[in-house]
Amino acid sequence: MHSKPKVFWIDAVGCNGCSHSFFNYPEIKELLNKVELLYHPLLPSPEFKVQKSDILIIEGALKTTYFPRLDFNLVELISELVKLSKKVILLGTCSVYGGMFGEGVLFNKQKEGKFFEFKEKMIALPGCPPHPEWIAYVIEMLVENKNILLDKENRPKEIYSYTSHMGCLRNEYFEWKIDALDFGTKEGCLFYLQGCQGPFTHSSCNRILWNEVNSKPRAGTPCFGCTEKEFPKKNLFKTETFMGIPADIPLGVSKRAYLTIAGIAKSLKNDRLNKRLIDENN
Amino acid sequence: MKITKKIITKIEGEATLKLYKKDSLIEFAEIEFWQYRGMEEYLKNRNYMDACVINPRICGICGHSHLIATSKAIENALNIKITKKAKILREITLGLEIIQNHIKWFYITLYPSVKEINYFKALEFSREIAKIIALIAGQFPHNSYAVPGGVTCDLTNLEIIKVKNFLSKMFDKYQEIIDINGKSEDLEILFEDIPKETGKGINKFLVLGDNLYFKSNGNAEFIKEEDSISLNKNVLYKGSFYEVGPLARNLENYLIKKVYEKYQDSIYTRIFARLYEVNLIFQYLLKRIDEIDINEKNYIKPTKKSGKGVGIVEAPRGSLIHQIEIEDEKIKSYNIIVPTQFNLSNGTKESPSPAQASLIGEYEKQSDLIFKCFDICAVCVSH
Repeated sequence: MHSKPKVFWIDAVGCNGCSHSFFNYPEIKELLNKVELLYHPLLPSPEFKVQKSDILIIEGALKTTYFPRLDFNLVELISELVKLSKKVILLGTCSVYGGMFGEGVLFNKQKEGKFFEFKEKMIALPGCPPHPEWIAYVIEMLVENKNILLDKENRPKEIYSYTSHMGCLRNEYFEWKIDALDFGTKEGCLFYLQGCQGPFTHSSCNRILWNEVNSKPRAGTPCFGCTEKEFPKKNLFKTETFMGIPADIPLGVSKRAYLTIAGIAKSLKNDRLNKRLIDENN
Repeated sequence: MKITKKIITKIEGEATLKLYKKDSLIEFAEIEFWQYRGMEEYLKNRNYMDACVINPRICGICGHSHLIATSKAIENALNIKITKKAKILREITLGLEIIQNHIKWFYITLYPSVKEINYFKALEFSREIAKIIALIAGQFPHNSYAVPGGVTCDLTNLEIIKVKNFLSKMFDKYQEIIDINGKSEDLEILFEDIPKETGKGINKFLVLGDNLYFKSNGNAEFIKEEDSISLNKNVLYKGSFYEVGPLARNLENYLIKKVYEKYQDSIYTRIFARLYEVNLIFQYLLKRIDEIDINEKNYIKPTKKSGKGVGIVEAPRGSLIHQIEIEDEKIKSYNIIVPTQFNLSNGTKESPSPAQASLIGEYEKQSDLIFKCFDICAVCVSH
């Protein structure tokens, strides 16, 4: 019998949210049975020991100021662990880009990060937090020694080729350019006024639903682009505009093409969508 | 005297425990946290709404409490009233966050420090609880659906029925862990070889939040933070340490009071109160959900742009306080006081904090359990 792949899970500077997100994976027991868990910050695991691993999972960001972890200097500890591992999963936006707590392991926001030289063996799973299905997918693929198709930033294409806009329940309102004027309504698109970053955020939140049932935009909350380099940007509930035109437009189209289609859609009124969706009076 | 330094892991984050011993008994203990993330500074000069995205990220297990405390602080600063419907929805999601926390804490944090246990049953339970939160709030962890003025969602009766049925189902299921009469097989097994009187605290209790069925017994104006030997600040109420959390806020419950009268504020009472609280929250939520008027507004737009406010909630670990100052929609200052700071302050031998008092006079081999029964969140402390 082959021995199980050894997984070492370390938490850098963060909130443990990636772990708690992973805990919601429905088949977590079956998944963890396929690996040997050398260390996890929360789950029962053997005594902490710096050692070799097949898969190193890093959750959280790096801080350049002194930040102790298990009696080590954090950056030195990460350096040791990275060198001793065959593959590294950078779990969450903090770990990939830095997020709100510091620098990422692979990138420091837009720039190359401290451990960029190890890019070859790294898989980036940004998201604050990343979806449990995404985490499970990468672990499974590595356990089964399957090839994961990665993009330029080492993100799995099967997850990040989508935008969080894909599958959003408010898509019809986006098509007809009908804005949500306030929070707390079923109607309206959150892209024009409420700061929704769905059309240009790489993630599959509305394809693989959260907790199997919902997503932020479906619950009326804009997408904050939590899988992206600059997360969290400023003024997260406001759409930045230049002369009335959104500063960021949907991925893949030119500004001119977007404005043409938006202008046409806006001039053609959709009577059904301009009313309340559920109204006892009509 | 012998001194041992222990790093306590498998809590949310990590802490260092310095134990001063004489004849293998703990004479005094010091609790140290050395991590700092600078959340309060990070919030400065941002639009106050950004705090609804940033603050849940203070903590992966109780971030929703931080979101609700944030919205309440802003509402307090800007004189915003929310509808009853929005209030009930927030109570449901916050109550459920407490439930998923307690079950994970009992089976993943606490139990393995004494005995082996199949912790997957806890994950199965907490996953279902997270699903109910997501039905209302979009996702768990890290949603931002509670905004100043109400909630962002606009539920139909379909979701409300689903939430209600889900709550009933999980309440039923919880009876296998601890039933409504307080019987719990797992809890008794945990205490097979441990005296139930172990780890008495300071017997002083404080409740500052008034969410769910909890009743405040104090006023946050009397709270003071002071520097301590570690990075986390001590928290005092009228100059004294107090215990916050499930035991403090449930002492009026008949069953919990009975256990308290028998074992005082020992680790057994503390653990019992925390486990049993889940039953009380389920009962409360099942009653409250029927009071939702679907026709009420979900959200009312704020009009004021400046002000000072406080938001307090009873979070999984106790009273959580957020203080904000807003000037022309921008955050001028922000201060966060978390429950773990109350319970794990560093006092003196003569006047110890609740956690220090529980450790004094006990054997070192019990220190892990005694410490963890406060449900420490080092992540929150290192905000």
